Parts: sequence; structure tokens; C-alpha cells
Amino acid sequence: MDAATQDMLKNLFETKLNSAMRLYLETCTHCGACVEACHVYNSMPEMRYSSVGRSEIIRKVFLKYFKLQGKIAPWLGETIELDDVTMDRFYDAAYSCTGCRRCMMYCPFGIDTQMIMGIAKLLLIGADKEPKLLTMLADMSIAKGEDAEASKAGFEEAIANIEPEVEALWKTAPGKKTIPLNVEGADILYVALSPKHSIIPAAAILNAADASWTLSSFEAVNFGAFMGDSKRMMAIAQRIIAEAERLKVKTVAIVECGTAYRVMKQQTGKHPFEVVAFVELIAKFLREGKIHTTKNIAEKLTYHDPCQVARNGGVYEDPRYVISQIASDFKEMTPNREMNWCCGGGGGLVAMGELEFRMKSSRVKADQVKASGAGRICTICENCQTQLTDLSEHYELGVQVDSLANLVAHALIQE
Amino acid sequence: MNALFSLAASAVQHLTGAKLGSFWSKAALILSESADATSGATVAADATSGATAAAVAVSPFLNAIEYTIVVPLLYFSVLFCIVGIIWRLYKILGAPPAPYSLKIYPSSKSPGLGALKDTFAMPQLRRHKPLFWVFLVIFHISLIMLLLGHLDILPSISIVPESSRHMVGAGLVGVGVTVPLLYFLFRRFRTPVRELSVPADYLLLILILFLFLFGDLMSWGNSWTPNGFVMTKQDFSLYFQGLAQFTFADPRAVLPGSHYHFLVIHVLLADLFFIVLPFSKILHAFLSYPINLLRRK
Repeated sequence: MDAATQDMLKNLFETKLNSAMRLYLETCTHCGACVEACHVYNSMPEMRYSSVGRSEIIRKVFLKYFKLQGKIAPWLGETIELDDVTMDRFYDAAYSCTGCRRCMMYCPFGIDTQMIMGIAKLLLIGADKEPKLLTMLADMSIAKGEDAEASKAGFEEAIANIEPEVEALWKTAPGKKTIPLNVEGADILYVALSPKHSIIPAAAILNAADASWTLSSFEAVNFGAFMGDSKRMMAIAQRIIAEAERLKVKTVAIVECGTAYRVMKQQTGKHPFEVVAFVELIAKFLREGKIHTTKNIAEKLTYHDPCQVARNGGVYEDPRYVISQIASDFKEMTPNREMNWCCGGGGGLVAMGELEFRMKSSRVKADQVKASGAGRICTICENCQTQLTDLSEHYELGVQVDSLANLVAHALIQE
Repeated sequence: MNALFSLAASAVQHLTGAKLGSFWSKAALILSESADATSGATVAADATSGATAAAVAVSPFLNAIEYTIVVPLLYFSVLFCIVGIIWRLYKILGAPPAPYSLKIYPSSKSPGLGALKDTFAMPQLRRHKPLFWVFLVIFHISLIMLLLGHLDILPSISIVPESSRHMVGAGLVGVGVTVPLLYFLFRRFRTPVRELSVPADYLLLILILFLFLFGDLMSWGNSWTPNGFVMTKQDFSLYFQGLAQFTFADPRAVLPGSHYHFLVIHVLLADLFFIVLPFSKILHAFLSYPINLLRRK
């Protein structure tokens, strides 16, 4: 690595040194309490797969370039130089971390490893060593936002094609659109993903509740967030924010996607609209008697708390209430809620493929699902759903994985 | 030889005394007086033993060094520590805030109280590392007692009656800090903590361990042995009083006996501790609350 690249990377590093980051980098006492928090370490016990093991690579670079101690006595903290080998270690650390933040439940200081990994991810972009697939997907999302008109006709046609499948779940009232698009003044903007299974059940539920809603032209997923690129993250989120402001909606309901929810709810500033996870809407409709369901799931069902929605988003009880309205035999996993094991698919890993690593690093999750004794598992995050499905197949768990919205849509009672 | 010491001491006194006043001239004076006082004895010593002569020859220097450690260097290190802490806190807490909330859920009704609880009760460690937590709690409570014990040496503060030979805790506070510290040190030699420890972690614990052990020597000696430690708490209080009143007096005058050197080593380690503190992980004492607040707010 030449000196100019090194300087550029140092400058990038410095841009991340806000007060919280400095606290995270300078407070760790190497107590080791977090080591066992990580599902990757528990499945593959190597220090580089623990939260402190990952963060230490960043800390040792920080010590070398930004601290006096690192300059006068580098051996004291075993500093590391920014070079190609270090960049490879950054990649290993950052893209083996799903950003689940379970380690924050173990650390006596609450150090956020995901945030520290943000430095590694940013420097990887600077060194042109980030996962190119994520860059491509993020840039495609941004391009779509810059020229929404280009894809409008195709999008409308695709939506029209899936309307019969929505009707099969719920017969829309006469005179109402099955999947409303571009409705100014609607109460709710529902932001889905590209696959139709993220639209059909939600549309049925929204229609069943007779809600005033409209479907977003954009997909909720934020590849910029996976890349740790705050500029791309904002550009992708901004498409939806601008659309919500243009349509003057009161609520933006985010599809079952953990990262999309957290980005929109917490990481993009204040908005003139409310941001909710779709499950929160379902729970509200049920409580207000706007939709009615039957308990049509007799098989033992368990629930996976997606990290970004639960521990990092605070949505714990609504999914459990919704499940109580559709299933008669619910069994919690152990541990659950804020202590739940990450599925192992977050942080962009599912989008990147990485099947072998995802399976090896999530053995502990497979064991947890198996121990629940449930034949079915539901969740409210697309990434988690994909990962759990892969785990069930890989570890031969024989567990059927579902989206909670889909289960609700199939339990709707049309009176 | 002794004439040379006297001359050197006078020169130091002459050169520095006028400009710097107080402590360096005091150090020079000690050097000079020691040389004068021992000059007569040296004649006799020369006749009896070369080794004694060497010891006598060294003693003025030793006195000056010891005085520097227990008075001027102590002032310097404490001042350095305070300025260092303020500088570090300014650099860390004065940086721009994080662009978004970093909290985790369930959220606290009162983030401030939640962070206080995290800081002082360490519930995460109680849950996941109960033995470590027990030692940490004993250690930190004992540290507060230790601080009080040192303040108590001042004649104006009387937590334990002034006439008592005991420090606060009568030696138990020393056990309370030393035993957990040994645990903290030894757990660093075991996987997985060994794998993430760096030389700074070991050195810091070793420095503090020796600092404690020399303190224990005096405290345990006074509390747990029939004859005490030679120097009593009343003796130490005279030294502390001199420090508090900035008299720059040589504490050797009020701390008799050859055990004085143990106190000097204790203070030397304390000096080092104060100098190292702002740049070490001990700063977590000041960062624990603000960092825990991030998780709650």
C-alpha cells in the first residue's frame, strides 16, 4: 500500500471519530466479557470472531495513527499499520459481523461493535476492497431513485399482475384499488421489497383493515447500510423520505426488513411522518378490531426476534400479540427478546451469498431452533427468513419458516 | 569526597534557589546538610569498613532523590494527572456527537438512571460473569474506602480516631483491593482473556499490584502485628499535613527509621500511577457513565 493511499485511509478513519466512536475505542479494558456474546464465536471459537477481537484490529490502528502512546511506545498496545494485510483483516472482521449488537448486552460499557465495524467498512470502500455486489446493488437503488420515471411503467404492470393473488387472500371492497399506487394524501405508505411475497400478504391485510394506503415505488432494503456507507445509505433512504413527503402520508410502514426499519426509524433524522414496522400496524388493526383472524396454526410455532427490529428497534411485544391471535401452540425460544441469538444472516451476508460461512457461523442458532421443539418458526425480517430457511435445510431441522405477515394474511376472516 | 558533595549541593542551592525558590532549594539544602552531618562519621567509618563508607557516601544523594519522590514529584504527578484527565475528557467528549441514537432496547424510563445503574452495578457482568463481577464489586468498593483511608490520614479528617493505629478498614481494605487485583492479573494469563491482552494491560496491573503491596506492608504491619510498622498513622499525618500546607518540608524529619524507604517506594509507585492514569484504561472510571448513556439514550 503506498503512502498516498495510507494517508487517504487515515483521513477517512478520522471522519468517523465522533464522540461515541472515541468512547468505544478508548474505554475497552479488554475484560473479555463480550467474547461469548457473538454467535459466530460460539459457533467457530476463534478470537477474531469475537466482538472484541474484531474491534481490536481497529483499535490498534487507531492507537498507531491517532494516539501519542502508539507513536512513542507502540509495543505497549501492539499497534497495527494500515497495509494490505490489515485491510484483509478489516474485511474478515467487518463481514463476519452481522451488526446484531448482542455484544452490547454483555459489555459493561455497552460498546457498539457494529459502529466500530463502520470504520472497517468505510476504509474498505476507500481501498476499493468492499464487496462489489453490495456496491452494485446500492448503486442500482440510487439510480432507480434518480430516474423513477424510467421504471414506472414496468413497475405498474408487475403490480397489476400480482393483484389477483392479493384478491385470493382478501376480496377488496368494490370501487377500491387492490394495490393503490401513488395516492396523495393516503394515511399509510407501505414500503415493500422487490419480491412479490413482500407485497401480497401486506396488501391483503391493509385492505382487510380498510386502511387508506399506497404502495411505495421503491424497495425498502438499504444496501448502503450493509456497506457501512452513510452517503449511499442516506441516498437510498432519501428516495422513500421524499416520496412520503410528496404524498403527505402520516405513516411509513416498513416491510419485514430489519435494517430498512432501523435505518428509517433511527438513522435518517426526524421526519414529518411516523415510521412503524409492518407488524406494529397488524397489531394495531387487531387491537382495534379492524381485522379478525382465526387461530389456524395448530402446530407448535416459535418466533425469532430479528436483531434490528427487536434489540435495536424495540419491537418485542407486538409480534407476540399478533402470534397469540393466529396460533394455539406458541413456544418461546431460549434465549429470546434482547438476548436472542442472531440468525447469522445480517450485515449484508445474505445479500452477498456467503452460504458456507453463514451456515458454519450460525450453528448456535440452529441448536437454539432445534431445542425449541417447534415445527414452524416465524419472523419479521426477510434476511432472517432466508437465513433460517437455509439453516433448516443445512442442519436438517425440518422446520418450516414463515413471514408473520404471511401467516396473518392466511388467517384473515372475511365476514 | 564529602566536601565535594557540600560544594555541589551549595552550587545547586545557589544556582536554583534564587530562581525557583521552594522545593529545589530545599532539595539542595537537604543534600548539603546530609553531607555536613555525615562528614564526621565518615572519618570513623573509613577506618572500620569500606562498605559503610560507601553507604554513607551515597546517603545524601539517596536523601535528595527520596525527597524529590515524596514531595515535588508527588505534586507534579497529581497535577499532571488532573490536567491529563481534563485533556483526555475534552478530546473524547468534546468531539461531535454520533449522528443517530445508539441505544438498545428495552429502553429505560430514565436513561440517566439506567446508565448510572450500568456504571455502578454492572448488571451485564453480574449476569454473564458472576465471579468476575464479585471481584469487581469488592475491588471498586475497596478502592473508595482506600481513598477515604488516605484522606483520613490528614489530621483534619477523623473517620478513624486520630489516636488509632489503624487505617480505615484496619487492613481489610488492602485485602479488598489486592486479592481482586491478583484475580484480574491471573485471569489475563488464561484463554480467552490472554488472547486479547496487550503488554499495557499486564504492566498496568503489575504497577498497581506493587503499589498496593507496599501500602499493605504499612497498613497490615500497623493493624496486624504487635509491634506495628515503626511509622504510625500519626507519623504519616505529619507528612500529609506538610503536603497539604505546601511547606515543602522534608518528611524524613517526621518519619523515622529505615522503614522510611518502603514509604518512598509506595509514593514512587503512586507517582507513576498518577502519571500513567490519564493515558491508561483507568480512564474508564470517568468514561463509564457517558459511554453507558449511549446505550440508554
